[in-house]
Amino acid sequence: MNTMIEVKELQKSFGSLEVLKKVSFSVSPGEAVAVIGPSGSGKSTMLRSLVHLEEITGGSIVIQGKPLVENGKYAGASDIRTITASMGMVFQHFNLFPHLTVRGNLELAPRTLKREKVAAIEAKSRDLLAKVGLADKADVYPSMLSGGQKQRVAIARALMLNPDILLFDEPTSALDPELTGEVLRVIRQLADEQMTMIIVTHEMNFARDVADRIIFMDKGEIAESGTPEQIFGSPRLERTRLFLNQG
Amino acid sequence: MNFDYIIQISGPMLEGARTTVLLFLIVIALSIPLGFVVTLMAKSALKPLAWMAHSYIYVMRGTPLLLQLLFFCFGLPQIPVIGEYLVLDRFVAASLGFILNYGAYFAEIFRGGLLSIDKGQHEAAKVLGLSKWQTLRKVILAQMFRVALPAVANESISLVKDTALLYAVAVPELLNYAKTAVNRDFTVTPFVVAGVIYLLMTLVLTLFFKALERRFKFE
Ligand SMILES: Nc1ncnc2c1ncn2[C@@H]1O[C@H](COP(=O)(O)OP(=O)(O)OP(=O)(O)O)[C@@H](O)[C@H]1O
Ligand SMILES: [Mg+2]
Repeated sequence: MNTMIEVKELQKSFGSLEVLKKVSFSVSPGEAVAVIGPSGSGKSTMLRSLVHLEEITGGSIVIQGKPLVENGKYAGASDIRTITASMGMVFQHFNLFPHLTVRGNLELAPRTLKREKVAAIEAKSRDLLAKVGLADKADVYPSMLSGGQKQRVAIARALMLNPDILLFDEPTSALDPELTGEVLRVIRQLADEQMTMIIVTHEMNFARDVADRIIFMDKGEIAESGTPEQIFGSPRLERTRLFLNQG
Repeated sequence: MNFDYIIQISGPMLEGARTTVLLFLIVIALSIPLGFVVTLMAKSALKPLAWMAHSYIYVMRGTPLLLQLLFFCFGLPQIPVIGEYLVLDRFVAASLGFILNYGAYFAEIFRGGLLSIDKGQHEAAKVLGLSKWQTLRKVILAQMFRVALPAVANESISLVKDTALLYAVAVPELLNYAKTAVNRDFTVTPFVVAGVIYLLMTLVLTLFFKALERRFKFE
């Protein structure tokens, strides 16, 4: 398979507000794509469309060869579930389940979906917590964690289902500056392991470091995309330059 | 106040308190599930169902509980044609009134609990592959009950005190015994004893709900 995500002429309107205007791009296996752009340019909407948190108005989304939407027509409910199951998502505000411990957060979905044995699920949650550096927090409730710790739990939770693709929507925007590093380190490690990722971020240095490709969105369109060297070094468009300079 | 007298009237009064406690337990056990079902109905995509739930809540909360009790105990049998089949035992009729009334209040409490849950919870569950039903069961309900707990505690304590309305439909209970003793013995003591018994009941409830809140603190 040579594309993980193929998006063609994606359109999305909220009522009369056109938020995405024929957005097209594709992501290859193992690629880390960073999406940058001003507030309101449609970055979150684009990401949410991929996992069917938004219903798009037109265009196609194909995940690993399987069409989620084709020319505005969605697949059946059970196909949608299987297709989106290959993707994990990490939210700006973590969205951890407050009534479950850290371990409970990780294990809820796999235990509910029953695709693996309980022992395997428990072993995996232990491994993943160790991987994000929170082995000692397994039995703690989210309310007792710092923002950076919460986001690392959220990443581990997403990894529990072995996603082929991880989507991040501003994973560090809700964090105090001194806590962003620990989260970015985990994401960087995933990039090193060739996880396919789309990361919406305002952290320009991080995007430049980690991403194989940068997509610059503006006013509901992909204004410009290219390697970090191209986008940060010699942006083609004036508006890209303006956006990068104001940050 | 004479200690022997207190001992002497306490027997019959505790007898009356048994009715009070029984009513309380029946109403709590049935009105909480009822309220929960009504909450789900009110949220339903089926418009008639949602409309029914909202009307029910509106009527039960918008009219006096005393009126509802009088209606169930003395009004139902007066309905033309079907009335004769609706002559219920007074205690049963009153329990029905209490259950329907408190069910509406619990429905509102649970609805508030649902509204307080961030939509990110639904989104996270969906992206993790949980169905709507699984999300409701495993993510939403636990949080809803937690949020609702203090209000449920308040409502329960109100219920203890509202059981005294049985007096108005002439079902013998704690207050009824107290009033009888006051009239018979020309002393205020039975009212004081009744007050202490109510206080003990609300104290037990308060401690119980405090313990529940501590247990489900999620810290
Ligand atoms: N549910 C919604 N209903 C109506 N309008 C919406 C909705 N969600 C987003 N929008 C609008 O769509 C546009 C794009 O929003 P989006 O959240 O995708 O932008 P963004 O690039 O992620 O911005 P930010 O950097 O602030 O997160 C905005 O104008 C926003 O107000
Ligand atoms: Mg956004």
